[in-house]
Amino acid sequence: MLEDGGNMATVQIRLPSVMGTVVEGALQFSIEAESVGGALEVIAKRFPRVGLHLFDETGGLRPHVLCFHNGKNTRWLDNLDGAVNQGDTLLFMQAVSGG
Amino acid sequence: MGVVVVVGTAKGAFILRSNKDRKSWEIEGPLFKGWKVTTAARDADGTYLFGTASDVYGAAIQKSKDLKTWRQVSAGPAYAEGGKHTLTQVWKILPHNGVCYAGVAEAGLFRSEDGGESWEPFTGLNEHRTRDAWCPGAGGLCAHAILVDPRNPKRIWCGISGVGVFRSDDGGVSWNAKNNGVPVIIEDKDYSDIGFCVHALAQDPNSPDRIYRQDHRGMFRTRDGGENWERIENGLDSGFGFPVARDRASGALFIVPLESDEYRVPKDGRFQVFRSRDDGDSWQPLSRGLPQENFFSIVLRGAMDVDHLDPGGVYMGTTSGDVFVSVDEGDSWTALPCRLPRVQCVAAFVDD
Repeated sequence: MLEDGGNMATVQIRLPSVMGTVVEGALQFSIEAESVGGALEVIAKRFPRVGLHLFDETGGLRPHVLCFHNGKNTRWLDNLDGAVNQGDTLLFMQAVSGG
Repeated sequence: MGVVVVVGTAKGAFILRSNKDRKSWEIEGPLFKGWKVTTAARDADGTYLFGTASDVYGAAIQKSKDLKTWRQVSAGPAYAEGGKHTLTQVWKILPHNGVCYAGVAEAGLFRSEDGGESWEPFTGLNEHRTRDAWCPGAGGLCAHAILVDPRNPKRIWCGISGVGVFRSDDGGVSWNAKNNGVPVIIEDKDYSDIGFCVHALAQDPNSPDRIYRQDHRGMFRTRDGGENWERIENGLDSGFGFPVARDRASGALFIVPLESDEYRVPKDGRFQVFRSRDDGDSWQPLSRGLPQENFFSIVLRGAMDVDHLDPGGVYMGTTSGDVFVSVDEGDSWTALPCRLPRVQCVAAFVDD
């Protein structure tokens, strides 16, 4: 909870190891956000070098990038308006397919 | 003096280093493990610029002064959010006279005046009147070849696979297709000036209107900046191939012909480079040190470069990860002791 009394929460962001060269090894960091969608917006705006690789020109996640909110695939959510709570985790992974 | 050769592959970049005799090589890497390294350049300040890409995570430009510490630029070439086009790969970075040019896929051309930190599109090309009819080739819809007239930087050429060569004479504001003399590959029902499949371009810096073109439909040359192209295949048993390089010191041209666009492999499994010492009037095969049987790997358009030393060094990587080096202008070749991932690009740099 921030001082302004809003519903902001500290969310842990975890990136796949292949992104290490993008973030100079800092594969985990935290942001403040109110919702899942808000957290994605914060990443895109505050961390443009990361955002470039997670989001495409549609403004949404790249087709083979998955985002899990506390283990739940955000693609399965009806929308991204759901609140995030203190200590929640957003884990990004690539969708592995084929072989 | 030393030579640095960057070998960009489908899974990272490898750095080859040698001294001026170029007899023995140290191999470092991979850099950008897990990322495709699609193009490499070095600007006048000595800063390296690499294009990196991932099928999952998209494309970016990385910068380094020393090939060890890297930083991704945060405002690289990009199409507008919500627009029609997606940027999937940086195919070519060309620093020239304080300006950096980048050719990308989906096909477009961008420029930077701050060392690659921020980029602006060449709207006259990226939104050309024919743009909606551009049709991708087998390698995608990519702007992979960029030339700038050393006498006049407002004169720029850009090659796009499946579309053709465009030239601007006004610094990139307006662009006109320049393919007269080259057979069309994909005829468009509305536009007669597109549908040409340029694979690579090389320019004579002493006579910049003289440009050599490895095209889908054969080897061509223009002597008037692209107004007219003539076929130059004397001595070739196939005009199909991908790379073309020109050595500034000797003027020699190098190409790697393949058996037709249908098969796209070295004919009969014999890996040969062809060289011209007369501006493309005739070609001679070079095979000493190259596999002459059971070799069915190829050299992609960006995977051959020359170092412009005397005698000239020629470097090429194959789709099966072999790296071949010649330090006698192609007369003989040595395979380096490595087997890398599929080689996307090769770029040679000479240090004083």
